[in-house]
Amino acid sequence: MNHEESHKPAAQGALESAAAEETPSPVPRVEYSESAVDLVLQTQICQEEDQAVPLPQFDSPETTETEELQIGRDEMPLSLVVREPESSGSTPSVTAEPVPAPKANSFFREQNPQMIEVAPHVLRHWTRRDVLFFGAGALATLAGGSSLLPQATLERLGIVHGNKTWPKKEWLLNKALRIDDDVAEALYSENRRVPTYTKSQITPLKNNYNGATPDPGYVSGWNLTMDGLDSGLSISLNIRNLMARFSVLEQITRLVCVEGWSAIAWWAGLRFEDLLHAYPPMSRAKWARVESSVNLDESGNPDPYFMSIDLETARHPQTLLATHFNGQPLTVDHGAPLRLLVPVKLGLKNVKAITKITYSADEPRDYWAERRYSHYDGI
Amino acid sequence: MSDPTLPACEPNPTSTLLEEPGVLVAKKHHLLVRWSHWLNVPILLGLILSGISIYWASPVYQHKPDPNTGSLDVAADIGIWMCSHVPGLHHYSSPPDWVYNHMSLGPGMLAVALRLHWFCAYSFMLNGMLYLAGLFMGGGWRSLLPRRTDLFDALRMLRYYVGVPFAKLMRRKWLHPRFNTKYNALQRAAYFSVPVAGCLSVATGWAIHKPMQLHWLAAIFGGYNAARVWHFWVMWVYILFVVPHVILIFADGWDTLRSMIVGWSTRVKRAEFIANEP
Repeated sequence: MNHEESHKPAAQGALESAAAEETPSPVPRVEYSESAVDLVLQTQICQEEDQAVPLPQFDSPETTETEELQIGRDEMPLSLVVREPESSGSTPSVTAEPVPAPKANSFFREQNPQMIEVAPHVLRHWTRRDVLFFGAGALATLAGGSSLLPQATLERLGIVHGNKTWPKKEWLLNKALRIDDDVAEALYSENRRVPTYTKSQITPLKNNYNGATPDPGYVSGWNLTMDGLDSGLSISLNIRNLMARFSVLEQITRLVCVEGWSAIAWWAGLRFEDLLHAYPPMSRAKWARVESSVNLDESGNPDPYFMSIDLETARHPQTLLATHFNGQPLTVDHGAPLRLLVPVKLGLKNVKAITKITYSADEPRDYWAERRYSHYDGI
Repeated sequence: MSDPTLPACEPNPTSTLLEEPGVLVAKKHHLLVRWSHWLNVPILLGLILSGISIYWASPVYQHKPDPNTGSLDVAADIGIWMCSHVPGLHHYSSPPDWVYNHMSLGPGMLAVALRLHWFCAYSFMLNGMLYLAGLFMGGGWRSLLPRRTDLFDALRMLRYYVGVPFAKLMRRKWLHPRFNTKYNALQRAAYFSVPVAGCLSVATGWAIHKPMQLHWLAAIFGGYNAARVWHFWVMWVYILFVVPHVILIFADGWDTLRSMIVGWSTRVKRAEFIANEP
């Protein structure tokens, strides 16, 4: 026997058995019968209209006289609770003992459930309505939810075959991505610095060139070109010009990859903000496109890497155009001779071997955003 | 859902409905609690599938390459072990990927997994607010609070669960311990720990999503890498909760399952209703 069986009889004929079996107890009985009659009347009223309108106190914030009566009953101290009569004979001592009465009316004390008496056919109607509604909702969620899964996953699950695409399929996920970018942008503050570390906390940083590592030959002829400047000119600087013109800062910060791994590394370089001061962008500019033309794909073919960065982030005091890694000039692995180091963004915005910076009023294209990653990537 | 448009009509004393015996039902779950409960199913499924895809891009538990298999990662080790020991998996084409292939969206889907994860994560947070609102509006939060007697009562429940199979085999009566509360101590611990896990998931999720702007949050969990580990293990709380939860709901019967759909239960303890002096 389980407790389910033991409770069912109580549920079915609670009214009659309550009157017949229990020892008389005038006070609660009066209270109970009043509310019960009231409720039955309410139920009946609903039936007259031939529509099962739920009782007001059920899921409904509206209060009526009956509800007040029920609340009154809910506040009965626990010490009045007795165990059910049908189990009193066979229950071993372990199964039922009077619970020590906690302080009455305590804010944290569990309250007795609200109870209502319902005509059986009304209850059947409620059940049918709610279960059907639930079933429809479950089916809709199943259809809607599975349509959000990627095509390849659905094919693996055997749900779809062939190249079927829903035109609106990506809309919701793109929306979520945009909202997340907006949240990241709202969290960003030019004054909030990222944590810095000591040299003993430095961890290894792997060469994470997405494709093949470029041949070092490009370094000798390297130039940084800047476009979209206020002067209207296109300016090219080599690494000696840059190093002579700008002061170099050091910082030990964490670089976080979109994949989840991270590395604490010791960088040195010039502030992006100083470059913006020295070569101001056109007044309407809000964005910079940072580009590496020496980037290669996996088979070693040219695959220019381009990335968008908002000028707010570019002006962050810890956004560097790094020239040194671990106290040494950058190696080809890490983007010699100049790479972007923007610790408030994911690693994929930290372009290696920058060859060109173009300022613009509109958001420029982004290599990884075109591969379905987000645009802003603030962390 | 239950619309309070009660028709204004006069009570009719000649109705025969009064003679029909009524059924006593107890209100169990607030509407918002029920909705958010069911919405958690697709949301958590989406979070776990996409979460494992994200984990796959850079597993937390890695080791030096295994000399025999070249495996770098514990989940790959498990897949390799399974494919060599579990009958029927011997011919699986890529054993190191077995675990990932069966618990994630599939290979090479980091970008897709991330956007699905954000969508589900924002849904999860909104849904969690609905749940908390329902808990407070319905007063259900009181039933979830831990009590001083919980340890002893939990042992009683464990004793009951351990004894059930033996009692069934021996065809002996084995009574479920009785409590005067909505939940027994084990249920309370489980139902209390899920919203706690939800808060931890959200907090650790933000810590690893915004480790720079919210670096204080990452620091609470021991830094960025530790917060990733936290986030990973909190996922297992849901999995470890769901398995016995589903089994026990079906073992307990239709009334319990139905109460999470319709909100009420016909399992009314008369003791709660008719009170007596002891």
